[in-house]
Amino acid sequence: MASYEGSVQRLIDEFGRLPGIGPKSAQRIAFHLLKLPKEDAHRLADVIVEVKAKVVWCKRCFNIAESDLCSYCADERREAHLVCVVEEPKDIVAIERTAEYRGKYHVLQGAISPIEGIGPEQLRVRELITRISGEGITEVIIATNPNIEGEATAMYLANLLKPAGLVVSRIASGLPVGGDLEYADEVTLGRAMSGRREL
Amino acid sequence: MIGGGRAQTQQHVATLSLTDFRCIHNLDLVLGTGITVVIGNNGQGKTSLLEAIGWPARATSLRSVNDAAVVRAGCDQAVIRSEIVDADRRQSFEAEVRAVGRNRMQVNRQPVQRIRDLHGLLRITVFAPDDLQLIKGSPSGRRVYLDEILGGLAPRYAAALHDYDRILKQRNALLKQISRDRSAASTLPMFDEQLVSAGSEIIRGRLRLLDRLSDPMINFYRAMGEGGEILATYRAEWDDDAMLGSGDAENIEDRLRTAIERRRQHEIDRQVGLVGPHRDDIVLRLNQMDARTQASQGEQRSFALALRLAGHAVMTDILGSAPVLLLDDVFSELDTRRAAALVCQLPVGQTIISTATRLPEDVEVEQLLEMESGAVVVR
Repeated sequence: MASYEGSVQRLIDEFGRLPGIGPKSAQRIAFHLLKLPKEDAHRLADVIVEVKAKVVWCKRCFNIAESDLCSYCADERREAHLVCVVEEPKDIVAIERTAEYRGKYHVLQGAISPIEGIGPEQLRVRELITRISGEGITEVIIATNPNIEGEATAMYLANLLKPAGLVVSRIASGLPVGGDLEYADEVTLGRAMSGRREL
Repeated sequence: MIGGGRAQTQQHVATLSLTDFRCIHNLDLVLGTGITVVIGNNGQGKTSLLEAIGWPARATSLRSVNDAAVVRAGCDQAVIRSEIVDADRRQSFEAEVRAVGRNRMQVNRQPVQRIRDLHGLLRITVFAPDDLQLIKGSPSGRRVYLDEILGGLAPRYAAALHDYDRILKQRNALLKQISRDRSAASTLPMFDEQLVSAGSEIIRGRLRLLDRLSDPMINFYRAMGEGGEILATYRAEWDDDAMLGSGDAENIEDRLRTAIERRRQHEIDRQVGLVGPHRDDIVLRLNQMDARTQASQGEQRSFALALRLAGHAVMTDILGSAPVLLLDDVFSELDTRRAAALVCQLPVGQTIISTATRLPEDVEVEQLLEMESGAVVVR
């Protein structure tokens, strides 16, 4: 395949390495950048440099942070005995949007997936155990994804934490609010039925 | 379930429009609700037509090929448009199959996000020339036979099969790691438990289905003019009893758990999962002997037809609406007696038959389409 000259092709190649971007999209983004005013392109370049320089993992919960602790760990008003375990930082953002949860978080940075060579040692599990004894945590909510890997991770954590006398729960999976039962697919509705609760 | 309880309703594909689909450049058809016969020499597009009619049911080709293979040589995409009528409901289906990149599908002009959203849109029963492999071939073909019917009956089986496949891959990867490093075994129970949960759902479904298939299968086999006694039994080699019946459905979780415990070391040594529905088979017998080796070629064909017809009858019975029947070049493989018997057994409902040869005389043809070089010849 014909390629472009020097830095243009290198730019296309770099975009092509990003998740979800194919060769055609990479080319489109690269040419879009070429047409941008200089200052716009610099702003993008600067923010990439800045994010890599400033952003670190929170020393406590492994969320993204710009100092030792992320904003949730630093927030004294949050209930310290309660921790919600998620796979990725973006899951925290999703839960925060609910404004229902006032406890702390712990980011595993993935889920158990033997295919990808990820076991408990590759996740932030040991750090979670250390936190539980050190911070007086008494209740753990496991909010990993409702798929094979997320379920395996949830079961693994439950087996690990329950014998220690902690209250361990798993978020429910089921119907979207505002939807009609009639339009729910049978798999989701089936799970919602088996996870029903008493009124 | 849509259409449930109304035995007279017949689902059918009312119209079909194709662009650059295999050797078919452009084609627009109105299909009858009874028997349509597609006649033509080999390579003229008969099977392609059946393949396109069945597309909405599987969201992929009926022939196990790469989807891109259906795009006409030199074109970017193949387009299938059809209208599917079920009772008084008329739904439009559209699929763009790309030579490169993702396919796109729409139902009633709304994009289809997940394949399972297509559930119930169109149900089909396919008779293909290689159905003989149901009898003679490997266990996987017989498992697929059951799983396709189950998937058509309830989407949760399709979901369980999809999950099970993923669990198996993760668990096999883990077994490989354990054989190198024992400490990796700490997460094995989590995959065992998920295998038991999805696996028992699949086995329970298969056992109950096989139970329902049994009588119609025996009746159809007799109706094909065969004399012997046929029997189909579910075999799970990982279980003590090996031969399971519908009564075993109740405690299948415990049986799977016990079997996994017992074969733990063996699984680690072999680095592959040896327990679960992916190892199972249907044992087919003729006069108490193995039908694979002891039945004649003709008896095997009748047996395969009986399995297909029984599956069709059970789906019709449970859903209250007959799936569309697609018979791809089936009559050329049958002798005169069996061909005539099959014609008598054809259920009512939309039936599309492709053939290169003459059909038995008593087929009540509603519509005859003659195909030549990917086009319908008007007579």
